[in-house]
Amino acid sequence: MTRKTFAAALIDGLYGSLAADPNITIIGRGMLGHGAHDSEADRLQADFADRIIDPPTSEGAVTSMATGAAMAGLRPFFHFGTASFAYEAWNQIVNEAANIHYMSGGQFSAPVTFHMFHGVRGGGAPQHSHSPQAMYANCPGLEVVLPSSPRDVKGLIRTALKSDNPTLIINHTKLLGLEGDVPDGDFDIPLGEAEVKRPGGDVTIVATSRMVQVALIAADALAKDDKIEAEVVDPRCAVPLDKATICTSVAKTGRLVVADEGTLMCSIASEIAAMVAEEAFSDLKAPIKRVGRPASPVPFSPPLEDAVTPSAADIIDAVRGALA
Amino acid sequence: MTKQLDRADLFARMLRMRRFEETVLHLAPEYPYIGRQHLYIGAEASGAAAASVLQSGDLSHTTHRNHGFVIARGADPGRAFAEILGRKDGLNGGHGGPWHLCDKAAGFQSTSAMVGGSVGLAIGAAFALQQQNKDAISVAHFGDGTLDEGITYEALNLAALFSLPILFLCENNSKAGQRPSSMLAAKKLRDVPEALSIPSVLADGADAEAMFAVITEAVGKIRQGEGPVFIEATLERWPGSHQTGFGFPTGITDVTMAWDEDKIAGDHPDWVRQYDPIRRYGRALVTEGHLSKDEILAIDNKINDEIAAARAFAEASPFPEAETASGGVFA
Repeated sequence: MTRKTFAAALIDGLYGSLAADPNITIIGRGMLGHGAHDSEADRLQADFADRIIDPPTSEGAVTSMATGAAMAGLRPFFHFGTASFAYEAWNQIVNEAANIHYMSGGQFSAPVTFHMFHGVRGGGAPQHSHSPQAMYANCPGLEVVLPSSPRDVKGLIRTALKSDNPTLIINHTKLLGLEGDVPDGDFDIPLGEAEVKRPGGDVTIVATSRMVQVALIAADALAKDDKIEAEVVDPRCAVPLDKATICTSVAKTGRLVVADEGTLMCSIASEIAAMVAEEAFSDLKAPIKRVGRPASPVPFSPPLEDAVTPSAADIIDAVRGALA
Repeated sequence: MTKQLDRADLFARMLRMRRFEETVLHLAPEYPYIGRQHLYIGAEASGAAAASVLQSGDLSHTTHRNHGFVIARGADPGRAFAEILGRKDGLNGGHGGPWHLCDKAAGFQSTSAMVGGSVGLAIGAAFALQQQNKDAISVAHFGDGTLDEGITYEALNLAALFSLPILFLCENNSKAGQRPSSMLAAKKLRDVPEALSIPSVLADGADAEAMFAVITEAVGKIRQGEGPVFIEATLERWPGSHQTGFGFPTGITDVTMAWDEDKIAGDHPDWVRQYDPIRRYGRALVTEGHLSKDEILAIDNKINDEIAAARAFAEASPFPEAETASGGVFA
């Protein structure tokens, strides 16, 4: 076990995958943005330069290129940078890549991985702060992966690159510097397998991506201040969704708070809330609470940005509401 | 190894495409759920020539005006009809329908019904072939309207930047009197690829042997690693190309029209006389002594039997079970 940043673990996952499978090709530059961690990616360039392509700023055609190449035998990993850039490739992701396996009657698959950074990042303003995971989850044929820790991003990125389906890895920009224990050597984490990040018996908090880290802070505060033991469940993937682990936790606690950074309308939080209401209603002792962004773009000015960003305090309020 | 011109085979491919499309026109009123047909009639010389030049391992991508090209590359016409009819034995198991025919075994990767969609996927296939050091090439087969889409410009740029092994085969049929199918501010279509340093060739898309020669030369250069080539094949649009009804605007093709003008049927005899590639090539083959009238009739009889059997196969195929509707979403 080694303590590493999320950024370093992400690169570890890519490095091991590139070393193991010659069909994996990286398309994209600036894998870790322009911040403090960008030098972590240097070792990929040092050892796999012939399999790293620096494309022009043409998200639509590059997405198609990655998808068509996947249909012809490669396993491309396309890094978009900021998640909102992938809107330029919306048709290519949701109408070409997502449909190919089904539409061809199973003749073709598109084992392509799309990587992007989501979320309120600090100064991102309306066009660089999106959390589009629910939009992709709404498109049959796409796997949607939402890592929340250094260990998870390494294991999940390795599995995504082995998947025969188009897979989106949507990482939160603010997770890059997060440190955590990462097992040494290569390991895979299956898609669609949730993890209980913190056990507890009073309330279930299902959280995704960076909100898992926020929920863990909230859970510690609730234990200290309110003597409430929250169980934090991280689905790790929106698609496929591990319903069983979520419902098992709800059966134990009887109360549910769901936290995801997307806007609440038709969000991942909404889907999980609806799923539990349908499949585990009799286990619930109180109405489900959701935590997410309000229905407004993300503003630039720091206090305004804070006002729309879901926080530990929001989760604490929701838990108190669920237990009231 | 470059393929040599086989005139009888090239003519047969063209005629097979024509008979296939005529059968779709016969089927359409009986099975109205097929919807609007996008037929390849009038473009056979281009598609058949390309399919004749391509080799096993080469990968094809087209727009939704796809039936002819799928057949020309060797897909089973019975399974193609079955897919058009939404049947269990269809190439795509009924999940795709006429707009999405594909056949992995024939190297026919995809039909995208999004304008420009297949051009993007085609550069991807070329990228994969290049990365894997294969000798094969990719082909994007599309109409002039595709150049109105931004992704086509982006894809051309990527192909040029990375010197990808791809043939862009553009059939320009915009000269008909209806609404133009492309609206480019460029003076000619080839201004677009040429601005990106992609070698571009103008060809008569209704002349089968001219197309064979132009495609053979282009494919030879692409296989040698010289990067992409753009061919603009000019065509006169078939009068039924945008029809919403079930008619035969140029009649049912009678191959004897190649040497007997009185056999030209339909409401647009001028189109047939001047532009129909089947009539044009049939007449040239007979006039130049490459095939006899009897040989052409024998080819036609054989194809008619083959297409009739294919149609019967498709109509006898059951619909897929309803349980398969939501299956196969993930590999």
